[in-house]
Amino acid sequence: MYDLVIRNGRVVDGSGMPAYNADIALSGNRIAKIGRVSEKGRKEIDAEGKVVSPGFIDPHTHFDAQLLWDGYAKPALSHGVTTIVPGNCSLSLAPLKTEHRMKLVGMFNQIEEMPYKAFKEGVVWDWETFSEYITRIRKGLAINVAPLVGHSVIRLWVMGDAAMERTATPEEIAAMQGVLRECLDAGAIGLSTSYVDMDERLQPVPSRYADADEVEAFASVLGEYGRILQIVPEFYDADLTIARLDQLAELSLKYAIPTTFSPLFVNADNVDAVDRVMRRVDEQFARGARVWPQVQTRPIDISFCFAVPSLLFIRLPSWYRIIRFGTPEQIVAAFKDAATREKLVAESAVYAALWPNLRLRLVQTEANKKYVGMTVGEIAAARATTPIDVMIDLSIEENLDAHFLAADMGHNSDERVGALLKHPRVHIGASDGGAHILSFSTYGDTGFLFAHYVRELNSMSIESAVKKITSETAAIWGIPDRGLLQQGYIADIVIFDPKTINRGEEKYVQDVPGDGSRYIRDAMGVDTVIVGGGVAWTAVGGYNAETRGAILPGETQSTRPLVAA
Amino acid sequence: MPAAELSTVRKSILPQRGDTWATIAARSLPGTPEAEAVSQLQSWNLHVFMRAAGVAGGVRGTNPILPSDVIFIEAPRA
Repeated sequence: MYDLVIRNGRVVDGSGMPAYNADIALSGNRIAKIGRVSEKGRKEIDAEGKVVSPGFIDPHTHFDAQLLWDGYAKPALSHGVTTIVPGNCSLSLAPLKTEHRMKLVGMFNQIEEMPYKAFKEGVVWDWETFSEYITRIRKGLAINVAPLVGHSVIRLWVMGDAAMERTATPEEIAAMQGVLRECLDAGAIGLSTSYVDMDERLQPVPSRYADADEVEAFASVLGEYGRILQIVPEFYDADLTIARLDQLAELSLKYAIPTTFSPLFVNADNVDAVDRVMRRVDEQFARGARVWPQVQTRPIDISFCFAVPSLLFIRLPSWYRIIRFGTPEQIVAAFKDAATREKLVAESAVYAALWPNLRLRLVQTEANKKYVGMTVGEIAAARATTPIDVMIDLSIEENLDAHFLAADMGHNSDERVGALLKHPRVHIGASDGGAHILSFSTYGDTGFLFAHYVRELNSMSIESAVKKITSETAAIWGIPDRGLLQQGYIADIVIFDPKTINRGEEKYVQDVPGDGSRYIRDAMGVDTVIVGGGVAWTAVGGYNAETRGAILPGETQSTRPLVAA
Repeated sequence: MPAAELSTVRKSILPQRGDTWATIAARSLPGTPEAEAVSQLQSWNLHVFMRAAGVAGGVRGTNPILPSDVIFIEAPRA
């Protein structure tokens, strides 16, 4: 008798080959048989009319903190994501000495827009080493985690505060190589670094004080293990991005490692730039380098309120200084001060086209609820004032708890984004799951891929879309035994309705430690999510108390050749 | 494809330890008067030149160049 049998499903096996009808039988955590299964299962699922596919792999997340209080990485798991990669962009929560905890919290707050209070009330700081952090998150882990270790934290660990000031000495580089080896031995899937991010003082993060020799020293260690290097390049400039991907290509070739950079957006004003970057990617792949650009599926939507700093204002220095460093009382006072307000209004003129199109999505007072759903331009007309004054006035009236949405700000050309997503050398990712929790919902990118690009636009086949976010991702990241539905593979499986899978409407929920809130999207059309052979979530029953998440790729005992990419 | 067959892109360097605008200018634009070479480098690298100075009292001082920076040594291509 099998432990679980999924019957009558349409198998999209992750290889990109045509879908077919079959049953799938599981024994323990592995796929025991695919075909017509006559034996019974202790548990059976009827997947008639549904697609059965490998679990989705999300390669760019920041769930590092959330995993400390939520081993399901909600709601990512419910969308069919069975493996997540945290620790991107040079930031992980380990290794981390006690004296640097608040420094790292500051960086997560600035870069990933994670609230201080969530760390204060949701985190019991009982680890220092990477191994101890892994032990800590392993308890109650329902989703697979393939954690990167961050370059910035390794620098802090070895160099202390000097990590934020200077290049490393040869002795310090050797010590950092040793730390990286310890992290890889403890379960890290690779290393992340950043060339753009700033800390809470608006100073460069530690990884940006590393010279090319230091990065190469890390790449040599990654080469010993065959592990991946992830970077955030200067994505706002094509020449800089190309220089970075050339740097990555040399490391990839010299040390035989995969590399990936994220994000790569295509906007109306940078179409030629993205084409240039992709031509260079193609050339470097032709040389034998692996330099995978990550492209997200969803258009860029950004929500904000002035109670928390928003990166939307980072190019407006007067605004950003106030909302980044001011207390709520100081921000309100600044908005009320005539001289300051005049300066803010003047500076906001560079985004004059943006403000009228903002949409008010949430307020607290009864008096202003009549405006919810209207654009700021419409409210301005109703109040006989200007859009920027509406934004400031509502924020004062709501004690900063007025929430605005800047919708469809870019990465929204179906033709251009669709072409990128199906490009053979584009890696679908960059969801940023677990981060920017008050700016946008990072959940549901996979549902959007199927709903929009497969079903509505018909620009990708369902087999290609599944392959892109399962076996290709596993192959790029060196995750063995997952990403395909094949006998002997680990049973990470999603059952979904191809006619209805989608992302739900973005909604505001209060489920973050410290009475914090965030934007999320519910899954639509996903029926069952299986992790390691166990049912982790169902649309009917919700999250299962039995958890089978694993740390990848380290826990897999036997491996087999990867077939994709 | 050998590296030599890659298409031509805008030339850049990665800084060496202790590099300043002047040391990069001397190495990358020999024959150009220093002041002119530094000015050219700064105009080609606004992503560095326009950056705020380091933390007061820090090792970097007023040198805006970070060890990880890409520094272009020619103008943007048309």
